[in-house]
Amino acid sequence: MILVAKYFWRFFFLILFQLVIFNHFEPGLGIQIMVYPLCVFLLPFEMPIIPLMLLSFGAGLTIDYFSDSFGLHASSLLLFGYLRPIFLKMYAPRDGYDPLKEPIIRDMGTRWFLLTFGYLMLIHHFWFFFFEIFRLGDFLFVLQKTILSVVLSFISALILQSFVVTRTKAQS
Amino acid sequence: MRNLLAFLRRFRVFLLFVFLQVIALYINISYFYYPKSQFLTTSNVMSAKFLEMQNDVNKHFALEDNNIALQRENIQLRMKLKQSKYQETHGKVFINDTAFKQQYTYIPATIINSTVTRRNNYFTLNVGKSQGVYRGLGVFSNNGIVGIVHTASEHYCIVKSVLTKDINIDILIERSGLFGFLKWDGKNPRIGTLTGISNDIKIKKWSTVVTRGGSGIFPKGIPVGKVIKAEPVEGEPLWDVRILFSENYRILQNVYVIKNLHLPELRSLEQHIPEDEEDEDL
Repeated sequence: MILVAKYFWRFFFLILFQLVIFNHFEPGLGIQIMVYPLCVFLLPFEMPIIPLMLLSFGAGLTIDYFSDSFGLHASSLLLFGYLRPIFLKMYAPRDGYDPLKEPIIRDMGTRWFLLTFGYLMLIHHFWFFFFEIFRLGDFLFVLQKTILSVVLSFISALILQSFVVTRTKAQS
Repeated sequence: MRNLLAFLRRFRVFLLFVFLQVIALYINISYFYYPKSQFLTTSNVMSAKFLEMQNDVNKHFALEDNNIALQRENIQLRMKLKQSKYQETHGKVFINDTAFKQQYTYIPATIINSTVTRRNNYFTLNVGKSQGVYRGLGVFSNNGIVGIVHTASEHYCIVKSVLTKDINIDILIERSGLFGFLKWDGKNPRIGTLTGISNDIKIKKWSTVVTRGGSGIFPKGIPVGKVIKAEPVEGEPLWDVRILFSENYRILQNVYVIKNLHLPELRSLEQHIPEDEEDEDL
């Protein structure tokens, strides 16, 4: 029960963080920082895919509800949730995931986190900006937005990740 | 039948993914072009309340700029007061003016949520149907135009700002009288584009751009910005005119919703225009 509460608290906290802080942070050059995919990424390893997809779709709709993006966040977070098990499998340790560990840097190492979370964020951001602009003529602009935003989102997610994890450790 | 069930079971994850993805993208496309209700937008009461609470904190950061802007406007209005004018007609004939009647009314509003760097930027205002705001009204600030009301709920409304893909407000360059449509390319929130001006006419740099008032949403002469660059479009006899917006949408907070009392009359008259005309985008 404590475990469920812990995951729920993390999930809620990350969405709130996105809505209250990162939605209002606009550094220009088309950069848009999106850290909320972390809330889906931090769910347990053995989570089955259908609840995972429903949960990410719901979380995306919640973000859409507060930021006038009309289903774009839901669409890209759903893709994130759909691809997460595939990438987790691709970069799994030789004898599978330890059920006691969590998908965080401290448990799984920097290289693993960088590869799985980095690729997923790249796909998520590209999908989001592609459907936001939706013009082949602006393809370079989509790439510029994607690459700049992914770097900043990844760094913010790293910082937030350590923050959220230590917070929950102290609580439980 | 068994094959079909086996197929469904085999690909159920992918099918669910496609199904949810279609819902999300359908919402995206349909809300952008045909806003039917306020579900999933910030004009919804719950999310608007949340944003308003947030704005109660955030508004204090730009307080000084806003105070200066309001003060400047106050001075302009004060100069129009009777007490700050010298009465020349004293003892002369008094004319009761019946030649001018009210055509536009204004509703003051505050922006409680806004973005400027997305491809389509919407502003949420704290006025709604109960204040007489509905879809299609214009919004401007004391420096320039802001956008057009996109959806209104009971106490809030969403404004499709000039920083969106298909805003198409008709604007003209002052003095020369050339007119075209305002567009935004999604890159810099200070710079817009004026399209549809033929390039055999010269355009002066820094000439003022104002609204044309053709669609009846805005009166003529609300400032938009200044021309900073005019380049020929490749392969077409047209200018690509860049406009520096006179309003800085990043720090904008206080706006006015403008209501044209003659708009229903204008619309019903324009319905008699034959069909082959291109429809004007709201």
